[in-house]
Amino acid sequence: MKKSYMANLRRKKKIQDIAANILLFIIVIFTVFPIVWMFISSLMTQNDITAGKLTDITHWENYIEMWQNINFFKYFKNSLIICSITTIIALCIATFAGYSIARFRFPGAGLFGTAVLSTQMIPGIMFLLPLFMMFTKIQKSIGISIVNTYHGIIITYSAFFIPFSIWILRGFFASIPKELEEAAQIDGCSPFGAFFRIILPLSSTGIIATGIYIFLMAWDELLFAWVLATTPDVATIPVGIRLYVGNYQNRYDLLMAAGVVSTIPILIMFFSLQKKFISGITAGAVKG
Amino acid sequence: MKIETANSKKVVKKTKKLNTLKSEIKKNKFAYKLVLPAIIAMIIIHFIPMIQGIYMSFLKLNQFTLNQFLKAPFVGLENYYTVLFDKSSTMRSGFLDALRNTIIYAVLVNLLVLVFGMISALLVNRKFKFRGLARTLLLTPWVVPSYVVGMLWGFMWQQDTGIINRILVDWLHILPNKPFWISGPNTLWAIIIPTVWRSTPFVMIMLLAGLQNIPEDYYEAAEIDGAKSVQKFRHITLPLLRPIIAVNLLHGMITHIYSFNIVAMMFGHGAGFPGKWGDLLMTNINRNSFGIWQLGTGAAATVVVMIIVLTIVAIWYKVFKDDLVVEE
Repeated sequence: MKKSYMANLRRKKKIQDIAANILLFIIVIFTVFPIVWMFISSLMTQNDITAGKLTDITHWENYIEMWQNINFFKYFKNSLIICSITTIIALCIATFAGYSIARFRFPGAGLFGTAVLSTQMIPGIMFLLPLFMMFTKIQKSIGISIVNTYHGIIITYSAFFIPFSIWILRGFFASIPKELEEAAQIDGCSPFGAFFRIILPLSSTGIIATGIYIFLMAWDELLFAWVLATTPDVATIPVGIRLYVGNYQNRYDLLMAAGVVSTIPILIMFFSLQKKFISGITAGAVKG
Repeated sequence: MKIETANSKKVVKKTKKLNTLKSEIKKNKFAYKLVLPAIIAMIIIHFIPMIQGIYMSFLKLNQFTLNQFLKAPFVGLENYYTVLFDKSSTMRSGFLDALRNTIIYAVLVNLLVLVFGMISALLVNRKFKFRGLARTLLLTPWVVPSYVVGMLWGFMWQQDTGIINRILVDWLHILPNKPFWISGPNTLWAIIIPTVWRSTPFVMIMLLAGLQNIPEDYYEAAEIDGAKSVQKFRHITLPLLRPIIAVNLLHGMITHIYSFNIVAMMFGHGAGFPGKWGDLLMTNINRNSFGIWQLGTGAAATVVVMIIVLTIVAIWYKVFKDDLVVEE
């Protein structure tokens, strides 16, 4: 009696497991399909795409055409430069500030924390025009051009991603025991030395995760780029695609090739650092 | 006499407080030095432009007065009237359409993302052969830039040549005729589905991290008491994941109300109009502000949206106050 009950239970569990696997398989197919389709259609000719002929997927020349005809390399390079420098600047400033509010109970710390969070509730479009006007005014009165320059967009992006990064990093620094720095300071380290030698290495996972996050957000940004970086010399990929679409309407083969190429850097970055990134981002967010 | 001493006591107390504050500030010089760059950046890029933006909503700011910027004629609440109440203005009907679409969009996307995120997290939290591969594959949509998501799905939704209609109608014969996806009432679904597709992985990682933090003993104890899987989920998993769900709910709500990239790229790659059924608040405001230069009403509409978001944040805080983990 008991034996058959256990056998029943085991069989039931097995059936449940198979059902779960099938469900997972279906979800994975739906998840991956659009990406696979983007890659496949980037290797088809425009005529085959409209005719629905899926047998000929060898047209690698689409990539060459995209690279040469639409200046994609330039946009790609701009995006890489802007996003990398933004990541470095925003990460440095956010690391200092995040450490400060995680460690010190200084007067105004609470207000600063609230200000950091409240910036996340402002829609970007609210300060897009005032920012643009401020930049053109500086250009007119002092003569330093900011609109349509690398430094203009880098300054904007850096400031843009600082608050969120502060909030993630604060969680990491708070989880490191305070005694470590105190011990270092007793041994003769300055506060800054203790921060630099003890805290930074210990929180490297969190800092790398935050850095990847900033890079992803900057790579993804287009509202500000459409206004602040409109000339081909500084245009990022989304701006470039928009410039390009006007001339080559409905060349979906080329557009999908552009899509694949804009995804690849993030793909490489993400999957080479996946473990660090996931453990970092979840630790910070689950706690905070 | 008595009153005097009481008063002087108060004064002494006050100066004492002031002195401790001063010494506190002095003691924390290092801390202030560390936050200073962030404060400067936030003031210049966030707060000054935000105040100017709010002020803009009270000005008659359009293509003719753009050069005057903040010195444009002051019109009080007229812009708000145009956006919210003036029945003859096209601005109002467009804004209200966008508002309706955005509310449906944000709520549905949030719910669907949580449901799919939870299902996926539960599925890959089991032990099985290709677990690592399955987790990696489920994360991939998150790596695709949102402007590529918009472009890609806009391409897939094409009525005649798009792959989705080809699969549904030509290959599987689920539908008799090819429906229009990116025009007409279906548009809302055509923007909800890609957003869900893109946003689910992030929520899945968060929930998965939460699931892994739940001690195995809880489930074993429940099993001994004869709990079924559904009961275990309802009485152990869900309550323990509540804080994570709460944070993701708020983050999702803000992100999706302010959603722009996917929709902007899906229709004409940034140049088009998503139509009455697919226009969202941010694409609507962006088009009115930078397409036809109605910046005053655009700013007013933005302020209205911001007030809505702040209300949602306040409600969220009331509901989930007890779930927020207090550190230290």
